[in-house]
Amino acid sequence: MRRSFLSILGIFIWTVGVIYAVFTIVPPAEGLGNLVRIAFFHIPVAWVSVLAFLLSAVWAFQYLRTRKPEHDWRSSAAVSIGFAFCILATVSGATFAKLTWGAYWNWDPRQTTIFILLLIYGAYLALRSAIEDEEQKARIAAVYSLCSFITVPFLVFIIPRYYFSLHPAPVINSAARIEMDKIMLAVLIAALIACTAIFWQLLTYRVNSRQKREAAAISGEEGVKQ
Amino acid sequence: MQDKKLPWYSVVWAIVRKDALCELRSKYAFSALTMFALITLASISMSLAGATISSALAAALFWIILFFCAMAGLSRVFVQEQEAGTLFTLRLYANGQAVYWGKTLFNSLLLIALTVLVIPLFVILLNFTIPLWLELSVLLVLGDIGIATVSTLTALMVCRTGGKGALFTVITFPLLLPQFLMVIASTTRVFDGILPEVQDFVFMAGYDMTVLIATSILFDYLWYD
Repeated sequence: MRRSFLSILGIFIWTVGVIYAVFTIVPPAEGLGNLVRIAFFHIPVAWVSVLAFLLSAVWAFQYLRTRKPEHDWRSSAAVSIGFAFCILATVSGATFAKLTWGAYWNWDPRQTTIFILLLIYGAYLALRSAIEDEEQKARIAAVYSLCSFITVPFLVFIIPRYYFSLHPAPVINSAARIEMDKIMLAVLIAALIACTAIFWQLLTYRVNSRQKREAAAISGEEGVKQ
Repeated sequence: MQDKKLPWYSVVWAIVRKDALCELRSKYAFSALTMFALITLASISMSLAGATISSALAAALFWIILFFCAMAGLSRVFVQEQEAGTLFTLRLYANGQAVYWGKTLFNSLLLIALTVLVIPLFVILLNFTIPLWLELSVLLVLGDIGIATVSTLTALMVCRTGGKGALFTVITFPLLLPQFLMVIASTTRVFDGILPEVQDFVFMAGYDMTVLIATSILFDYLWYD
């Protein structure tokens, strides 16, 4: 209890520090001006939504291998939290697009990718909600998660070939060189850490509360038997 | 166990034959799918009222029709077994892999047969000329196999949810999207009379191979309780 309180406090202070840095230390970027500050929210949130997708597939694999329900709790928690982050990334990205390119949505490759991620997250959650039995739910969801994880890499090949992109190059571009102001980069990394920590904290909270609920249910059943 | 005595290909063949026989007796899936395709095509053709459409639009329309036809009928392979109560018997008689390959093969054949029917209708109703037949047929077969393979796995998932039809489309579409985008792009080229690049074919065949292998591995996790 004490440990989780301390970690929440730590994350809170860190995040407040990052927000302060984003609005005061980071200089307005060339061409983008103050709009660049959206990126310090958008990039970490988008990163977490991809990370959550990856983690859910890893835990789905673990579940299918070991059949321990904990792995399924982690996998499904990663998806539901990842879905929320994915929506945030889509909305912040669309806002940034409207302010800089002039349209909320124009099927830019990045927008297409995040949209597909949203579709997969949505389909996974719809599938879970349709199955009653806990064990079947876990198994089918794990198979779906893995199957979608296998098909996603194909998109990486096809999308850039057929759609023209306006999206700013990733922080580390194809030449593997970092083209960013040093202060900006430091703040961005701090923001990434903050966002990942928030995600991890939410995930642990969800998994722990599920564990407690299951434990209570089991002890309740034993109480009835006695 | 019967499948221990029989070689795998005869078990697969037996499943394909069984499904084909059931289909030939009831003719439900094929007639429903054909009517479905006809209705969509006719409604497009009617609303266009003779106006010509660009090849990009035609390619997209064509694959959308095929995709939704597939979504209307392909989940039947397992949903129907579930409704008839024969899923359990099937599990007793054949092993998972045989069922998977048999059902995938049947779905692919059904979809290819449907494509063969839709193409002439498409040409007639939309007043369309197709310049590269051979390339188009390769494209169609590769696309159909992709749709059939993914649908076989998702059909089994959906049949566990009690045959919720809308869910089938929702969960199949994101998995099919890479193939869908590529197939539409290549079909556009073929309609324009341009040869698609070799990489495009390699991509589509690669996608088919990957999903065939991946879904056949994942299928066992769903098949055995």
